Amino acid sequence: MPITTTRRRLLAGSVAALALPAFARAQGAVKPRLTAISQWSAGSDGAAITALGKKFEEKGGIWQHSPVPGFTTEMMNKLRAQIIAGDPPACSQLKGPEIAAWSKIAPTVNLDAVVASAGYEKVVAPDLARLHKPGGKWIALPLQIYSTNMLFLSKRAMDKAKADKIPVTWADFNDLAEKMKAGGITYPIANGGTRPDDGQKFEASFAGISPASYRAAIMDLDKKALEGPEIKAAFAQVRKIADWMDPNVGAQPYATNLKRFVDGDMGMMIMGGWAQGVLRNAGFKFDDFMIAPGPSDNTKPVFLLNADAFIFWQRSEPDLQAGQTLMAQLVMDPAIQTMYSQITGSIPVRTDVDLSGAGWSDGQRRTASALKDAVANNQAVLSLAHNMAQENGLTAAMIDVITEYVKNKTITPEQAVTRLAEAVEGAR
Amino acid sequence: MTDAVSTATRPGRPAISGVVRRLPEYLMIWVPLLFSAAHLVSFSLWTIWISFTPSTLVPVSGWVGLRNYTAVMASRNWQIAFDNLLLFGSAFVLLSLVTGLVLAILLDQRIRGENVLRSIFLYPLAVSFVVTGTVWSWLLNPGIGIQKLVHDLGWTSFRFDWLVNRDMAIWTIVIAAIWQSSGFAMALFLAGLRSVDADIIKAAQIDGAGPIRIYRRVILPTLWPITITVVVVQLQFAISAFDLVRALTNGGPGIATQLPALVVYDLMFQRGLLGRGAAAAVLMLLILLAVLLPYAAWRYFRRATHA
Repeated sequence: MPITTTRRRLLAGSVAALALPAFARAQGAVKPRLTAISQWSAGSDGAAITALGKKFEEKGGIWQHSPVPGFTTEMMNKLRAQIIAGDPPACSQLKGPEIAAWSKIAPTVNLDAVVASAGYEKVVAPDLARLHKPGGKWIALPLQIYSTNMLFLSKRAMDKAKADKIPVTWADFNDLAEKMKAGGITYPIANGGTRPDDGQKFEASFAGISPASYRAAIMDLDKKALEGPEIKAAFAQVRKIADWMDPNVGAQPYATNLKRFVDGDMGMMIMGGWAQGVLRNAGFKFDDFMIAPGPSDNTKPVFLLNADAFIFWQRSEPDLQAGQTLMAQLVMDPAIQTMYSQITGSIPVRTDVDLSGAGWSDGQRRTASALKDAVANNQAVLSLAHNMAQENGLTAAMIDVITEYVKNKTITPEQAVTRLAEAVEGAR
Repeated sequence: MTDAVSTATRPGRPAISGVVRRLPEYLMIWVPLLFSAAHLVSFSLWTIWISFTPSTLVPVSGWVGLRNYTAVMASRNWQIAFDNLLLFGSAFVLLSLVTGLVLAILLDQRIRGENVLRSIFLYPLAVSFVVTGTVWSWLLNPGIGIQKLVHDLGWTSFRFDWLVNRDMAIWTIVIAAIWQSSGFAMALFLAGLRSVDADIIKAAQIDGAGPIRIYRRVILPTLWPITITVVVVQLQFAISAFDLVRALTNGGPGIATQLPALVVYDLMFQRGLLGRGAAAAVLMLLILLAVLLPYAAWRYFRRATHA
């Protein structure tokens, strides 16, 4: 009977099959695999990360992205659960000082070698680089940049105010707002009522008045700067802006008012560069509005940095390790950064990417050149409202004071300064 | 009583077979009860433990004494939340009680279409608080809601901007919460009104009492136990209110409508301060106990005097 040895053969065959991956691994032919979590599931964010996954697969990798839709905090809850369970993803979304905070609770991957071989450090804004190498080693990589203090001007509102000059300083800005008001625009500032929205008004004012003082007070928490005249002036400017806003907005997001902004019922908007993508998705045209860097009293552009990033968690599996290396190379690649930013409307992290091509908008070009100028003049600072300047706990304590100040007009700038300093003291 | 004792003391097989026979009943009651009690108690104890540790992003062991508590109680957020809770809790409980009682008395007049009306008043209870909050946030928004409607009707000086008014915003939560849950109070009161002995009412009528006097002197005094139940149920809702506020005002304008549950969530999951969040949660538990313990004592006392 020729088939009597079936069982033994089967056993031998399965042993061989089981040994195959180990054998392949020994040969160095392991297929790179990446487990990743992020909050990017829909819209342009979802499209961008899906495109990144396609590139990963084109390079022979296995892409396993599990999006956690909703707020960043929900993504963080999943990350926390996975870390506590001892099974962190190979790579996850995380940004700002949270990178340093989270790197203390689980081991991360040292990316120094792969970053050095790409020559990446030279082309990243220094403050940004520092955030991604807590303890001196690269453990995370920034993916894309937004400025949180871009100034959007409604073309129709400018016509109503008979103005055509883009304001450069806060004095210009205030003049233009008054002109718009005189021209019949009840609310010269288009706004939302959310916490980051209020925070952005403050950080744009403060950094625009004095980037050096902003850096000392908000980023370094220097006590003298936190009680200095510049921060008081910033609160006074925020009060002016708040008086020009529609008080009926409640807790709605800024995007609710985009139509009124484009129609010229509202004149100006201080918002992150992402609003450009939102405006475009909502069907508005580029000649409905103008984009410029936010007001700066020393006339040189001030750039409030907000950057999305990936942090890499230590895994022992060789295929995941290979996947991490491949992912790091992709994220630093100028072509990938170009593809990503063109989908989301951000600008690339690399300052050496050429934005003259057809895929880029004027707004993106202006943002990128503002970043270059700001870095050259040491005026690129980290955003408070978008959790780049401080850890979440401190940020939230500071935004509490700011959002209350924006909504409560009986608080004076002096009181706000004292409360902010107290909040910082209490949260440290 | 005597039967149980005799079963227990009787030796041999009959007792065991009795236990075996009743085993499914014991399992039905005790297993879920033990499970949920263990669940509740163990997580409460765990939270209390965390509140004394320096935990931030993840739980860690260590001991910081009362530092988390002092930090939470010194924070402006918690102080505002606590003041709001006092205001919201008392206003909501009192007004929903009154609304519920009035609705119940009106429905009790043997009117036509009572079933339909009762369903209408009870219906909001079937709606999730998130939905209630969202709908009221549109209705109360001055730019698109009731104020705009009245303006469009021609009364342009009409103002109803509580939602965006720092001092009045907490009352919008009271309004929405009453809309949602006064039907619950109504249902309980209606059941109470119906259970009053018809003979007593007849006797009062024969004695010449008018309808108002009958309600005041005869019917309402019998509603005490129901009133206490409604107060306790509504109070524990008020103390743990979260979803309604989050959908309606999200603690705003600014931080004017913070409530303790929002502070706990914010500390734990948005600020990444587990220790402080746990401390705030324990403080909430203490507030709840301050309400529930007197209630338990009252019930115990009542049972003791009635027995």
